[in-house]
Amino acid sequence: MIGRGLSVDPSDAIPLWKQIEENVRRLVASGALRPRSAMPSVRDLARDLSINPATVAKGYQRLVDAGILAVKRGEGTFVAEKPPALPRGEREKELEGGATRYASLAVTLGVSNEVAVERVKGSLGLLRKKRNEDS
Amino acid sequence: MSANPATTASASNASAAVVLASRLLVRYGGNPKPTLEEFSFSVPRGSVYALLGRNGAGKSSLVRCLLGQQKPTAGACALFGEDAWRRRARLMAKVGVVPEDPDAPPAMTASELSAFCARLYPSWDGAAVTARLARFEVPATTPFGSLSKGQRALVSLSLALASSPDLLVLDDPTLGLDAVARAAFFDELVGELADRGTTVFLTSHDLAGVEKMADRVGILKGGKLVVDESLESLKARFRRLRYGNEATEDAAAYGQELSAFDAVKVKVRGWGIEAVVSNYGDESFARFAALEGVLDAEASALSLEEIFVAVVGEAPPAAKGHP
Repeated sequence: MIGRGLSVDPSDAIPLWKQIEENVRRLVASGALRPRSAMPSVRDLARDLSINPATVAKGYQRLVDAGILAVKRGEGTFVAEKPPALPRGEREKELEGGATRYASLAVTLGVSNEVAVERVKGSLGLLRKKRNEDS
Repeated sequence: MSANPATTASASNASAAVVLASRLLVRYGGNPKPTLEEFSFSVPRGSVYALLGRNGAGKSSLVRCLLGQQKPTAGACALFGEDAWRRRARLMAKVGVVPEDPDAPPAMTASELSAFCARLYPSWDGAAVTARLARFEVPATTPFGSLSKGQRALVSLSLALASSPDLLVLDDPTLGLDAVARAAFFDELVGELADRGTTVFLTSHDLAGVEKMADRVGILKGGKLVVDESLESLKARFRRLRYGNEATEDAAAYGQELSAFDAVKVKVRGWGIEAVVSNYGDESFARFAALEGVLDAEASALSLEEIFVAVVGEAPPAAKGHP
């Protein structure tokens, strides 16, 4: 289930805990992870990905700190009821970082600006449509 | 703050470090070149430290010093703040070891080995050994000598974990294991880390496995500890740069543009230049990419294996001519 959307690439330059954090953010943003749904335990996810549980715990902790996940004592970790929007400064920074990464990819692949922008619009449309259908 | 910050810092380091090697030096017989050249490093509690190095780099000597099986020529290894050599007998009750080539009386079965070890340790969880062996599908009643290499490693891990060690030392535990046995081994290790947060010190040639598990990485090269840092910072500072260069034709000029970087390796390719740098930064790369004569520069991340090869790849010139 969740494990499938949550893959990590150890050879990537982005640290594994950060990959987990970004993946969960993405899954929550897309609605693939609904509010109040249960997250796999640190141990299960570590086992599924065969990575150090401390790495998973670090990613989870960051998401809990950001209010995206919530820990219910004795029950486990869940997606928060209302995942908060990031503070404006943070949001700008995240957005810019993501945009730069995508732009670099487009340039590296030799894609024209028009095509690159079209793709972003397409993805945005799909995500928003999926969210609206789900809610 | 404290009147003597230096003392306070080292005291708190010592209490947090499960393994602390101080100015360790190992020299054998009349060999003028030390096997381990004076260095220090520590393994913080709860971390997974991976020691990498080519064969003959000094890994086994280091592991022996750490386990108190060998007295270093100079310097010392401490476990839990106590000298590994002098306090070996006492310390080993807190340490689980999986040696590179697990050894046990060949006629004894895994259950017999567990029963035997139970008498040597203050706390021994024989039931956990049985449960692990069942999970690993290793027969508990087959003589150790008749088990496959993978099965012996799994028996060895089961026994090493039975005393609930505070430190687990794994000496290339998955060497020669097939994919299934390796997965079972790492699976069990994940469980152990999740349950008890055991500190782990491992040497390994399985860099893909290490890359998922380790917090800190040490790389031994010719007896020197050339890398000792968190896996995260190691991966952040290494990049492969590829770019076209107008000066490629001029052998003397190529590579000049890389002067802002520590280039570990530079290769001239048909399409341009490929370099591995060990001090990558986004800003210095942006300046580099904007240099005149540098065309279409791109930077890509390296896997731990690629970093390892870049760091230790070339045989040192001094080693040539020796077997």
